[in-house]
Amino acid sequence: MSWFSRLRNALSPRRLDEELAEEMADHIARRATALNQEGLSPEVAQRQARLRFGNSTLRREESRELRVLATLQGTLQDARYAWRGMRKSPAFAVTAVLSLALAIGANTAVYSIMDAAILRPLPVHEPDRLFVLSWPAISDPGSPSGPERESFSYPQFLQFAAATRRAARLGLFSSPGVAEVRLSNPNAPIEKVNRAFVSGEGFDMLGIRPALGRLFSADEDRLPPGPGFAVLSYEYWHRRFRASPKVIGQQLVMNGHAYQVIGISRKGFFGVEPGKFADVWLPATQYEARALSDPGWHWFGILGRFAPGVSPEQIQARLQPSFHDFQLQLIRQIPTMPPDIRKQFLESQIRVHRAANGASQFRKVFSRSLWIVLGVATVILFIACANVASLLLARATARAAEMAMRVSLGAARMRLVRQMLTEGLMLSLVAGVLGWLLARILAPLLVNLLSQPGDPIQFVLALNTRVLFFCLGVSTLSALLFGLAPAWQASGQQPVNSLRASTGQAGKLRLGKFFVSIQVACAFCLVLVGAAFLFSLFRLFRVNPGFDPRNVAVLSITTDNNTTDDPVASSESGRAEEAHLRQIMVQLQGRVSSQPGIQAAALAWWPIFSGGGWSEQVIIPGKGPSEREEIFYRVSPAYFTALRTPFVAGRDFKLVDNSGQQPEPAIVNAAFARKYFNTPNVLGREFRYVFASSPLRVIVVGVVSDAHYYDLRNPADPIVYLPLGGNRSFTLYVRSPLQLGQIVRLVDREARFVGSGMRVREITTLEEIVGNTLLREKLLAGVGGACAFFGLLLAAIGLFGLLNYSVGRRTKEIGIRAALGAQRSEIVYLVLKEVTGLLGGGLIVGLAAALAAIAIFRSLLFGIQKADPFVLGTAISLFWVIGALAASLPAHRAATIDPVCALREE
Amino acid sequence: MAKPNSAQTALDLLVLTVLNRRGPLHGYGIATSIEELSEEALRVEEGSLYPALHRMEELGWISAEWKMSDTKRRARFYRITTAGKKQLTAESERWTSFSAGVSRVLRHA
Repeated sequence: MSWFSRLRNALSPRRLDEELAEEMADHIARRATALNQEGLSPEVAQRQARLRFGNSTLRREESRELRVLATLQGTLQDARYAWRGMRKSPAFAVTAVLSLALAIGANTAVYSIMDAAILRPLPVHEPDRLFVLSWPAISDPGSPSGPERESFSYPQFLQFAAATRRAARLGLFSSPGVAEVRLSNPNAPIEKVNRAFVSGEGFDMLGIRPALGRLFSADEDRLPPGPGFAVLSYEYWHRRFRASPKVIGQQLVMNGHAYQVIGISRKGFFGVEPGKFADVWLPATQYEARALSDPGWHWFGILGRFAPGVSPEQIQARLQPSFHDFQLQLIRQIPTMPPDIRKQFLESQIRVHRAANGASQFRKVFSRSLWIVLGVATVILFIACANVASLLLARATARAAEMAMRVSLGAARMRLVRQMLTEGLMLSLVAGVLGWLLARILAPLLVNLLSQPGDPIQFVLALNTRVLFFCLGVSTLSALLFGLAPAWQASGQQPVNSLRASTGQAGKLRLGKFFVSIQVACAFCLVLVGAAFLFSLFRLFRVNPGFDPRNVAVLSITTDNNTTDDPVASSESGRAEEAHLRQIMVQLQGRVSSQPGIQAAALAWWPIFSGGGWSEQVIIPGKGPSEREEIFYRVSPAYFTALRTPFVAGRDFKLVDNSGQQPEPAIVNAAFARKYFNTPNVLGREFRYVFASSPLRVIVVGVVSDAHYYDLRNPADPIVYLPLGGNRSFTLYVRSPLQLGQIVRLVDREARFVGSGMRVREITTLEEIVGNTLLREKLLAGVGGACAFFGLLLAAIGLFGLLNYSVGRRTKEIGIRAALGAQRSEIVYLVLKEVTGLLGGGLIVGLAAALAAIAIFRSLLFGIQKADPFVLGTAISLFWVIGALAASLPAHRAATIDPVCALREE
Repeated sequence: MAKPNSAQTALDLLVLTVLNRRGPLHGYGIATSIEELSEEALRVEEGSLYPALHRMEELGWISAEWKMSDTKRRARFYRITTAGKKQLTAESERWTSFSAGVSRVLRHA
């Protein structure tokens, strides 16, 4: 008997069965014949023969086990049986599979995003030898320290490269930013690309080979920079140039300079920052000339590769002396630095982190939120599993008689457990496949939710092997979770009890009640957390920003040949240029605000709520420089009118006010007045700030009410507003009820009239800008709300199912009670008593878990106290409503049981 | 593997001996042969014969095939294999020395 014939027997059990039966039947027949010949009657002979043979069924089983791959046959048998069972009760199967699929899909989707953002290594040569440099952020005294800084300056890069010469190779990588580019033919349109800067040896250090042409080399690091070269990414090459090899040698124009395309990077490489895709790379030396020589201009990240056998500590030791030198240099440059801050600079250590998965801003900002979302998805999975478990339990108890029969026929308990587990596994595998498909849709949706047009986030969401294993693992785990307990319980039936078909086995429902309690606990926890996130978002929305964000369009305007957004240098020719720019800016503002339909127009350098800002220390006469740096913002006249920030005292800027005056006129907000002068009456007061190493005098000519500058979460900061000078790029705020398209056309027209190459570069609205700062809260609220709803739904279904089943089982009992004269209300009370028990226990556990969770996530919430009455009240009342709804139908069914029918039922 | 000198090995021994002596037999034939040769001292519970036969078939000591029998129905005939013959020699030696040992103890007890 070979392995092969064993396999064959496993696959065609019927043939084996027939053979065994035939063989044994033949034996019995012969014995019967022999007995018959000895004188017994045929019937008696037959009976005797059978008796002498013994338990033929058992022997058949034994033989079969021997001749077959028992486990395989068992599993196949179970699978076939499970499949038949599914088809017989499609409603149950569909509900179970769908709820599981949703939960598994959600988990897989979130995990795939985490994998792309946080876990997956970069597609470069030997990514585990990569490292990234960082240094701890300098924090204002009293406020919590922020994330580590990963930006360095070019002189620092050169020094570090020299210090680590044989121990590591360093590369400079800037974060990709949106830039305008056009092809060199004169009528080519202006397009937007993601542009990043890289040092000459950067590609080589990472081990990236070109797909076409060549990549940068050490030549590109020579200063002064030669004619500019550009490298395109594979994906951009395909998308924009249709993979035409003729693109090599073509010229791209960016910021007035022409760059020649020399090569395409290999497929699948997008840069070193997961979440950001670079389309075009330029050599680092092509960046702003001033930045290359300024040791304090931190604009890019440094990645490196360890030489074999070198440890992070060794690199750190080599770099620390140069790093410390730079910190000393910085301290010398700012003589007014408070001693606390100075100490932090002196003690800061450069850090070397392994960076197999790149350096990611996205990870820093969203990492925590993603873990939370994963946690929520896991809770949903638990609920779905508990749901399916209680459904399976109900079914199993219904099949108690069958189970008992099998046990009495000699089936081992493990065999029965295995069979029921196979059912569970089949359910969860089908759900796993569906969930996988669902994840493919959900994951990109989620990423879209987080991406902004000015700061796009993209991920290569390949559902790869790791994610696949995760999905399978989750499916199997859930199968075990919900399959094991019902299987164990069902197989532990006492045959006698089941065969007697008696009801009233109170113990059997205990497990079902337990599962429903789990569901209620999880669902309540989700509802509480979801409500907390929703209320948090709601309260954030209600924060008064200090201005009216409605109906305000925000346009970025630029004049041609723009290199950076920084203010124009104050050299002689620079001053003339600045004056000219100021003049055309004022002209544009005037023309736009006088158009019909425009209520107000104002200018500033960069828009508020976009992360950009300028802060300086404030020097109060007689007090010395402030500890903190305060926000300074240059605006045109009519800014406060356009944004509807009311004045408290004094006047708005006039056209004659400008930054050249001594003292410079300034408008401060009430928070500033309170903080530095302890009184709201500060008109005519003077203070100073330091710019380009010289102190400048400032006199207060107006006080406005507080307005938020960076985001809505913190209370309004003190702000100093100064008059606007001329600049090549600036922001135009337009308050108007007109459609955005109309406003843009209008401004475009006026810009072309004013001339000097002025044009509109970007368009958005103030509402959108403010809304973008709420992105994380919106994500959490959306996900939290959706999950809470889904969890509630599942718990309600579970509750309903169990109650329904319980009423069904107790029909006889209820019938007797009714016949004995129990009122409807008493019966309903009986049914509801069960609900209350389940709900109560689950609620308490869920409450505890939710409160703990909220305490952990305090930093992500806004305006939510530890035991916020609104949140709690909403959650509890929601639950009572759902509980009542779920119980209503079974209660009604119980109340309307006809005693006669009930007693007649089996 | 069965414990040495257990009922299972005894049965194996009997079956192998019968098949060795009498050539290919079906299950019923084996059972009656055992009864006959032991002069009714040994009565095999007939059902338990078949799992034993199938087990020995798995182990390769006997081989089986379906053949037409005298009753014009087909039956499964078993025959001993070379490996089975080797096993038979080994087992019968062990059994003989075992029973001799038991007899000696009984004599002197």
